[in-house]
Amino acid sequence: MILESEIWLALVVLLPLAGAILTFMAPRYAPQIGTVSGVIVFGAVVALTLAVVESDATRLTVGGWGAPLGIDLVADGLSTLMLLMTAVVGLAITAYAVGYFGESSAHKRAYFWPLWLFLWASMNALFLSGDVFNLYVTLELLSLAAVALTALVGQPAAVQAAMRYMLVGLAGSLMYLMGVAFLYAEIGVLDIMALASVSEATPPVFVSAALITAGLMMKTALFPLHFWLPPAHANAAAPVSALLSALVVKGSFYILLRLWLTVFAPLGDTFAPYVLSALGIGAIIWGSIQALRQPSIKLLVAYSTVAQLGYLFLLIPLLMDDGADRQAVLSGIVYFMIAHAMAKSAAFLSAGNILHALGNDRITSIIGMSRKMPLTITAFALAGISLVALPPSAGFIAKWLLLNEAIDGGQWLLVVVIIAGGLLAAGYVMRVVGPAFRQVADDQLAVANPVVPASMAWSALGLAILAIVLGFTGVYLLDVLDIGVVILTGGEA
Amino acid sequence: MSDNSYDDVRLTPARRFVLAMMALLVGGLAAAVLSIEEEVIELRDLALGNLEASGVGNPVTAVLLNYRSYDTFLEVAVLLLALIGIWAVAKKARIPIKSPNTPVLITFERLFMPLMIVSGGYLLWLGADRTGGAFQAGAVLGALGVLWVAASLWTPNDRLRRLTRPALVVGMAAFLLVGGGMMLLGGDFFEYPREDAKTWILLIETAATISIGITLVMLFIGGIPPNADQNKGESGDHD
Repeated sequence: MILESEIWLALVVLLPLAGAILTFMAPRYAPQIGTVSGVIVFGAVVALTLAVVESDATRLTVGGWGAPLGIDLVADGLSTLMLLMTAVVGLAITAYAVGYFGESSAHKRAYFWPLWLFLWASMNALFLSGDVFNLYVTLELLSLAAVALTALVGQPAAVQAAMRYMLVGLAGSLMYLMGVAFLYAEIGVLDIMALASVSEATPPVFVSAALITAGLMMKTALFPLHFWLPPAHANAAAPVSALLSALVVKGSFYILLRLWLTVFAPLGDTFAPYVLSALGIGAIIWGSIQALRQPSIKLLVAYSTVAQLGYLFLLIPLLMDDGADRQAVLSGIVYFMIAHAMAKSAAFLSAGNILHALGNDRITSIIGMSRKMPLTITAFALAGISLVALPPSAGFIAKWLLLNEAIDGGQWLLVVVIIAGGLLAAGYVMRVVGPAFRQVADDQLAVANPVVPASMAWSALGLAILAIVLGFTGVYLLDVLDIGVVILTGGEA
Repeated sequence: MSDNSYDDVRLTPARRFVLAMMALLVGGLAAAVLSIEEEVIELRDLALGNLEASGVGNPVTAVLLNYRSYDTFLEVAVLLLALIGIWAVAKKARIPIKSPNTPVLITFERLFMPLMIVSGGYLLWLGADRTGGAFQAGAVLGALGVLWVAASLWTPNDRLRRLTRPALVVGMAAFLLVGGGMMLLGGDFFEYPREDAKTWILLIETAATISIGITLVMLFIGGIPPNADQNKGESGDHD
């Protein structure tokens, strides 16, 4: 028998897949079917969230077998927050895409929708999966959909970036799969909790951790494996850039986080977490400096993603340290993921509006644009506030949580990096916001196509407002995160 | 790098370094493989012990279509997604063969078509108890389709083309409807009723065979075949 709360675990995967099939079968009605599907999937995720909040973490045994023979889907606080993050950004991108692809060719309009619904389904399946091999299948779905969406604009630069993205993604997937093979050979099961219950710091488990971590680092674009990200994210269509930067990179990071909290917990006292932290520092510095030098808005925002992803890895040593408040560290990291998803999708959607209005997104051409496109420039500025982490934005709360834990843990180098990273972010955000708000005479404002479809302007602004408002509602979100998330102690324990 | 860099096979210091690193990696992986102990948990006995309840006699089919049917469902989705991805980028297909209808190929095709359909069906049926199943049967049907295209028997006006999209999605749709339907009827997600598990598995496998076969043919063609895109006339536009 199945409980009502368990049905939603299956539905949040099945519904977007059904939508993908329908949009592919009826390409002419793809925008309508896609929009309805988007609203329904959003509703299903909200229903799942309410069910989890009400009745605790939920486990669905697929086929009625149960792990370790079958596959289990698990919705705990962490997966639920990730699903909710994806659903909120996904709904805004769905609204944006109606306007964006309304003006493009019928071909792009017909193919965006099935690919996007496939991508959404694979994100949901990934966050719910409790099985390391099933996670590999969801990663494959996710990568394929992301690559095809990147190439959808059809320009040579985008196709080339998509090709590179695919090769890196494929290499990352294969490394992950090899790591899974080591785990299966050593332990004999694929269910995460079953693996975690017997996993020890043996050489095969260490090699598995190295392979899986390296593969997922490539997919998450952690410095210095970020080289594929800026061209892919900058050349894709605006809604695609937004979902790549806000959501897709979080998928592989989520697996990394989940596995280090459980299966790889016995390796917590090795040097590995410090390597990840060091690379995080490199990402923040290198990504920010590159963002300060880019000539176009989309490239600037893409390098900002490289930098911001660094923060996710910064506190991994504290997350693995039994002496630290590990739940609090996890809260900081998860809050950062959510804040970044809102701010980054808002920034990319605004950049798409600017590109739509001006025909280009060079930083030199946006002088004085705040008067012509108030909604869009406001959206970008609000997103920027959250990226810089000024109070009271969600970005501020996230960094404040991270900073607190770094101070408590006595990690002064990390404290310096977090503060310096904020200053650098202020520098690159001001490169766009400063000129946009400059006062110039009307005749100097060259706007090719000032009317941006309402759905595009408002969805960008909606996400930007959320990036600020989530700064006030942190407590509720962190309460959800406390629901049934397993954090195993590592080392000698 | 120079134009002929691919022909240059000299061992530069950089290449020596890469070689050394690769050797180190391979050595490390080999050492790790050798250090693998006996599995802590034995899944094999569990899989074989539940074979009766799974409805099929072949343990591989039991894993693919029952114990881990959810994985296979997502794999079938990967196939469809790959094709949609190619169609999104490649647009109009250049059907690769413009050859005259050679009598040898056509005669070969006419002789072998019934045989291949029968052997595909047999492989599908066999999967329940021995080696075989949807992927093998789909591969045979796919090969048949490739020969068909190569012999130019599949012309642009063929009425079968209108069935292309339904045939592409039927495998995933059957999986989705059965898996989700069982749940909405009160069972678990993807839980077949115990007594007719085999019937449901065969139903899904038949649909998957059709989709796998047609997907392979479409991948061979490499783009949207004319008329398969229901956006008639609009599909090739750029903006």
